[in-house]
Amino acid sequence: MKYLVTDDSRMGRKMMIKSLKDLIKEEDEIIEASNGEEAIAQYKEHNPTICFMDLTMPVMDGFEATHGIYQYDNNAKIIIVSADIQETSKSKAKESGALGFINKPINQTNLSKMLSGLGLI
Amino acid sequence: MPTNITLNEDEQDCLQELMNISYGAATAAIAQIIDRFATLNIPKIKTVSSTEFEEYFLKRFNNKSKYYISNQLISGHLCGENMFIMDDTSIYNLSKEFGLEDDEIDEDELKDVMLEISNIISTTTISKLTALIDSSVIFSPPSIKIVEFLDNLEDRYKTEYQHIIIIATDLKFKDQNIYGELIILSKDESILYLKKALNKLLDEY
Repeated sequence: MKYLVTDDSRMGRKMMIKSLKDLIKEEDEIIEASNGEEAIAQYKEHNPTICFMDLTMPVMDGFEATHGIYQYDNNAKIIIVSADIQETSKSKAKESGALGFINKPINQTNLSKMLSGLGLI
Repeated sequence: MPTNITLNEDEQDCLQELMNISYGAATAAIAQIIDRFATLNIPKIKTVSSTEFEEYFLKRFNNKSKYYISNQLISGHLCGENMFIMDDTSIYNLSKEFGLEDDEIDEDELKDVMLEISNIISTTTISKLTALIDSSVIFSPPSIKIVEFLDNLEDRYKTEYQHIIIIATDLKFKDQNIYGELIILSKDESILYLKKALNKLLDEY
């Protein structure tokens, strides 16, 4: 399986990847993107099983990137990962078609529940 | 500036992410109180001398408006201070969001709203940040000043701080025309402490 992790912060990506690595198989592949535009390009190139998408990013934010990915692939699986924990942002994430919302800092249990709910682990 | 005082690219990136998380929690608290949606921006992080800080500050707040400035001293491993700044239009608009009517709004009321908002923003952000780096701090009560025509900063900034990490984040409720900026100033010993804590985290990931 392929996982796409999008975050403008290297630290943000590392934190997500560390949490993911504890849950996924060794042979699974993790791809990274540092903004929404890159995420769309990486999605088109690698067709990942699931995308983890930060919201506040330069160049293109997470909502716009989510929209862009769904335009390309209506069956994409996207989970928003953000420090923006306002209820409005969570609602906007839902409206955008994202399958879930994970608060930063990542809670391993929540991530595990989310992935197992999607049948990925 | 000695190199050990400045943050390298990795440390800066790590601090930016921690601030993003911390300020996200603080903004959500305010957004919930006034039931409005705030836009989050990427935090700006820069290590500067006290003279450069004055230049930054005057350039940033130079539109000849009246500003409400809240200062709150922080002591502990991270010592320095929080500054939260809003212009008078923003603080007036925020007061309306808090439910105050025009005939109730005077300078004292505005100062009171500023005290409340800056207390929530500053303490929530710093508390979250220190928790993320496994540390703790003590807050002094904030004090509020109203400043018109900002053309210099108090001399104490030059004597109390050799270097300053400017960690600046915006509070932005676009539809309500409410804007504020939180600046965290840290002293040299805190910058060194912070570098150590950031490197510990970087090693973990």
